[in-house]
Amino acid sequence: MKARLNSVLAVLIIVSLLLAACQQEVVKTVTVKETQVVKETQIVTDVQVVKETQVVQVQVTPTPAAVVRRGAWVDTMVFTSIDQSANAVAQLQADALDLYAYLVEDPDVKKTVDADANLDYRFSYGSWDSMLLNPSGPTFKDGRLNPFQNQKIREAMNWMIDRDYLVQETVGGMGMAKYVILNTAFPDYARYADLIRPLEAKYAYNLEKARSVVKTEMEAMGATLSADGKWTFNGKPVVLIGLIRSEDERQEIGNYFSDQLEAIGFTVDRQVRTRTELAPIWQQSDPTEGQWHFYTGGNYYPVMRRNDASAFAETYTSLTASTTAEEAFNPSPELLQVAQDLLNNNYSSMEERRELFAKALVLGLENSQYIQVLSTYSFFPRKANLEVASDLSSGVGGSALWPYTIRWKGQEGGVVRSANSGILTGPWNPIAGQNWIQELMLIRGTMDDAALTDPYTGLNLPQRIEKADVQVVKGLPIDKTLDWVSLEFVDKIDVPADTWVDWDAKKQEFITAAQKWPDGMTARSKITVTYPADLWNIKWHDGSSLSMGDFVTYMVQTFDLGNPDSPAYDESQASTLEALMQHFKGVRIVSTNPLVIETYEDQVDLDAENQVGNYFTNRWWPITNTGPVAWHSFNIGLMAEINKEAAFSASKSTELGVEWLHYIDGPSLAILKKNLDKAIEENNIPYAPTLSKFITADEAKTRYANLRNWFTTKGHFWIGTGLFYLEQVNSVEGSVVMQRNPDFPDPADKWSGFGDAMFITLDTTGPAKVTAGQEAKFDAVLTYNNAPYPADKVDSVFFLVYDAAGSLVMNGFANAVSEGQYQAVLSAEDTKKLAAGANRIEFIATSKAVAMPVFSSYEFVVAAQ
Amino acid sequence: MAAVAQAPDMNANVQVKKKNSSAVWRIVRYALIRLLTLFITVVAGVFLTVMIANMGGYVDRIRMGDIQESVAMGLRGNPAYNALSAEERQKRLDAEIAIQAEAQGLNRPFMVRTFEFMQNAMTLNLGRALKMTSDSGSRQVQAIILERLPPTLLLFGSSNLLLFFAELFVALYLSRRYGSWLDKVFVTLAPVSTAPAWFFGIFLILIFAASLRILPFDGMVDAPVPNNLWDYSLSLLRHMVLPVMAVALNSIFLNIYSWRTFFLIYSSEDYVEMAKAKGLTSQDVERNYVLRPTLPTIITSLALMLIGIWTGYPILETVFNWPGLGRAFYQAIQFFDTPVIVGQTVIFAYLLAITVFLLDFVYALVDPRVRVSQ
Repeated sequence: MKARLNSVLAVLIIVSLLLAACQQEVVKTVTVKETQVVKETQIVTDVQVVKETQVVQVQVTPTPAAVVRRGAWVDTMVFTSIDQSANAVAQLQADALDLYAYLVEDPDVKKTVDADANLDYRFSYGSWDSMLLNPSGPTFKDGRLNPFQNQKIREAMNWMIDRDYLVQETVGGMGMAKYVILNTAFPDYARYADLIRPLEAKYAYNLEKARSVVKTEMEAMGATLSADGKWTFNGKPVVLIGLIRSEDERQEIGNYFSDQLEAIGFTVDRQVRTRTELAPIWQQSDPTEGQWHFYTGGNYYPVMRRNDASAFAETYTSLTASTTAEEAFNPSPELLQVAQDLLNNNYSSMEERRELFAKALVLGLENSQYIQVLSTYSFFPRKANLEVASDLSSGVGGSALWPYTIRWKGQEGGVVRSANSGILTGPWNPIAGQNWIQELMLIRGTMDDAALTDPYTGLNLPQRIEKADVQVVKGLPIDKTLDWVSLEFVDKIDVPADTWVDWDAKKQEFITAAQKWPDGMTARSKITVTYPADLWNIKWHDGSSLSMGDFVTYMVQTFDLGNPDSPAYDESQASTLEALMQHFKGVRIVSTNPLVIETYEDQVDLDAENQVGNYFTNRWWPITNTGPVAWHSFNIGLMAEINKEAAFSASKSTELGVEWLHYIDGPSLAILKKNLDKAIEENNIPYAPTLSKFITADEAKTRYANLRNWFTTKGHFWIGTGLFYLEQVNSVEGSVVMQRNPDFPDPADKWSGFGDAMFITLDTTGPAKVTAGQEAKFDAVLTYNNAPYPADKVDSVFFLVYDAAGSLVMNGFANAVSEGQYQAVLSAEDTKKLAAGANRIEFIATSKAVAMPVFSSYEFVVAAQ
Repeated sequence: MAAVAQAPDMNANVQVKKKNSSAVWRIVRYALIRLLTLFITVVAGVFLTVMIANMGGYVDRIRMGDIQESVAMGLRGNPAYNALSAEERQKRLDAEIAIQAEAQGLNRPFMVRTFEFMQNAMTLNLGRALKMTSDSGSRQVQAIILERLPPTLLLFGSSNLLLFFAELFVALYLSRRYGSWLDKVFVTLAPVSTAPAWFFGIFLILIFAASLRILPFDGMVDAPVPNNLWDYSLSLLRHMVLPVMAVALNSIFLNIYSWRTFFLIYSSEDYVEMAKAKGLTSQDVERNYVLRPTLPTIITSLALMLIGIWTGYPILETVFNWPGLGRAFYQAIQFFDTPVIVGQTVIFAYLLAITVFLLDFVYALVDPRVRVSQ
């Protein structure tokens, strides 16, 4: 019996080991050192890859010191998954990890990081907490009173919340009081800080004021305050149902809000539950049924928005409503008009825009269907000697510059071990792959782009653009900051007759402006991008050279996949295409060497740099949100899509019951391999009626051979032109390894300045006592790393003076005295206006290098003359 | 005479044949009834799973909320929509929500989908996940399960099997040395096993990974994954040490205590005392008079333990970042991914039913007292 049992045991263990071992390919290259050449050959069948690895030691002559390193600073990036931030920090401390790219919001974890000299972090500012109020009523269907239908009561809720207290008590100081919808780290907040700060002072915590307003309004609505201090309506207590999220700081915020409501006489029914439990109630129930009165909302911007004008429509109107709660919004006609104008960019100058913002900010606070509560900071912890650029809104994971800047301080080479909360969460493909930020961080490592977003200002910077010329018709509010773009205002922009303006998916040919608009057409802007002279030296990871075929294929797929006449039509792409065609006016290839492309476009951004760089269809670089689009690797996916063997998008794959195309692993590889073989056999050129003019048969042959070699060597079809190529994909084990691309053309230090953000440190000094009627001077000292802040990086230094009641008395710009030192001069006439007693001056400094403004206040006493 | 003499033999043969045929018929009938009962139980279990996984249809509202939220966020963050009028934006928003809702089947009545789930589940047509993908990117539920099965079998199959037999041997040993200091040690430590495995896991990580830094924190193998099978296996074993220890601490003391008490009870039966009195060796007594009658219980425990591996250890796998079935099941619940939940459950239900069915026959094989009733 024992022998039998032992045999069974042994067999089970062996089977388990074999099954587990089968999960990875037998041989994989791990690291490629400078002194090694790893040669791999594979025998490929339809679905199986058998590898042999031969490691050949090659003696390499030491690199002369003068040779500049190209490409990435580090040799290898290793990505894994860690769900718990405390665990990640423990691994950082134990030297088992170098970077945790997931944004951490736990103040206790931050304390651990703060206490460890070997660790550091960078904040990101894209999240905020708010309170959504149900505006239905004044009574619900069952006759209960809804106080939040009353705009003045909603407005009074602002005074009821001590936001500074919440910053300390709920997020451990990792946040900032928030009063208006504009994000404190985004350019529009800095641009209008002088308008916003007085409003913040006006709506500062004042419970008695809130109580007073509520009393007046509740009585006007027919409610009465009972002897025990509780509001009643028709003889019943006014019970407010609070939907309080239980997962994070919003539970404390919701409880605090409930406590305050109870303090002014309301009875609160606190429903503390998870997102999934509460979402159907506030998102889908009929607001007039009164299933809820307030909901503790939370929001997050995955990217910095330089133009936050649509925020008012999104927050106070039902113009972009997606829930029944938002559909019930009922703003005043004035607020609706202002929000709509801002949403649709209906302004002709920055001055006009400023006026609209000034109105919207005031009206938004008066409306207060959403009460803004806190801007919350999250951070990503890392080793202190690791440099990497991090986006102000979404951290390192959302930073386009992370692959270009990641570096061990003062070193070249090395390995960086990075973790995130979940990687390999879904398929990678260049059209509609998984777009979670965890995946995009990895994908960005493999992609290069024509323009990269400055993670600290949101302005686009040229990476593969020699220059760009932007023409717009006069009267449009657009400006430029950087020299790589020229901006010209013209009376009229005609779309030339030979411009490609649409796509005939049946004939597979572009439709020209002359064909579509025989009478001519104009556009509001024209973007001319000139690419570098050495553009065609750029190589895809499989060794293929970048070519016109990549650019034109990219253009074609933009218009084809969402076109119902296309054999690869995908309904989920149609909506995007329809949106594009609302404002797209055409594209024209002016020359191919150097490559110059003109785009005609009605949509105009506030910044000329972003007019070029923010839109795929203005810069035309062959990448999408989810991956690089080399024409040949894209084509084998396209062939699978047309054959209905697999689909680029999740929704189409579900509809057809086929695989969602995954270029790096899984059952998709066999499908792609099959189509690669077919493409090789046919020497297939996609969209041949058009692309055969740009892709020769020889190029197609070379490309497919390169891709087959790449698949044979690496076991996947993912190729980009980025700083890293994909070396290992270990799906079940949950790790991805990327190696430095040795063919990347740029020097490693090209983006070195972006490893750290130039945040201003602002100190204020001045006289403690000011005599009314006498001049007074206050100094603002701006520094960065203990040195004066460079004058050319300072955008503005503004000051505001408040009296003891917190009312704004005066404001103005501070004058530059010396580098890093600015002075606010209050003339004798100015000081005469100040009331005797405590007053306060606040400086607001904004930088051209970092969008986020900084504030510093100084209290002084005014004595009578 | 011969004929007369043969008559009783023939009658006896006929009677034996009749008896055998009756026994076969009884076994077949028993098996059929048992199978039918188990099938009905599986159907009921799967139906309940479908209903619970969908919260009686409430999950549809949650899914719809998810879709609305994600589409609205995506639209707001997409500069391509900036120039659209409010009406156009709303049109795009509604269209995108409709596409995604249709892709998840939310445009069809809940009960229709419930019966489809039932039919597909019972025929083991596991279908496609709604949100989850397998580690290698496929939405096939089968792929999601099959990818996670080997790591689960490896870690929990091998550790549970090893532990099971170790526990049996130690328990037998202790039952022979009732009251010894070692016996007292195990009795004293038995309550330790009441803490869950993940609890031990966290402490083990803190001690061996965070403080001593001699074992990895989590994961299945090192990253980058080692080049060759030997290094891979070594790395795998290093990563298995802590979770196996956690599983062991979670069960070993209590199970040894239970088995040892179980054996002690059997050891004090009259027939065991009689065997000892007859002078049989303690090995013979243990094998034939203690282990033999307890075999059905041991086999049942073993079978149910093996089946239990299918559900994995969700929290322990999460603590150790182990890519097992339990974690997949946990993720499926988080995502309200009904096909994955139903897929895992229906396979578990079938395995359990088959095991229960087979155990009836195994009992009869190992224990002569077990017979199909007349």
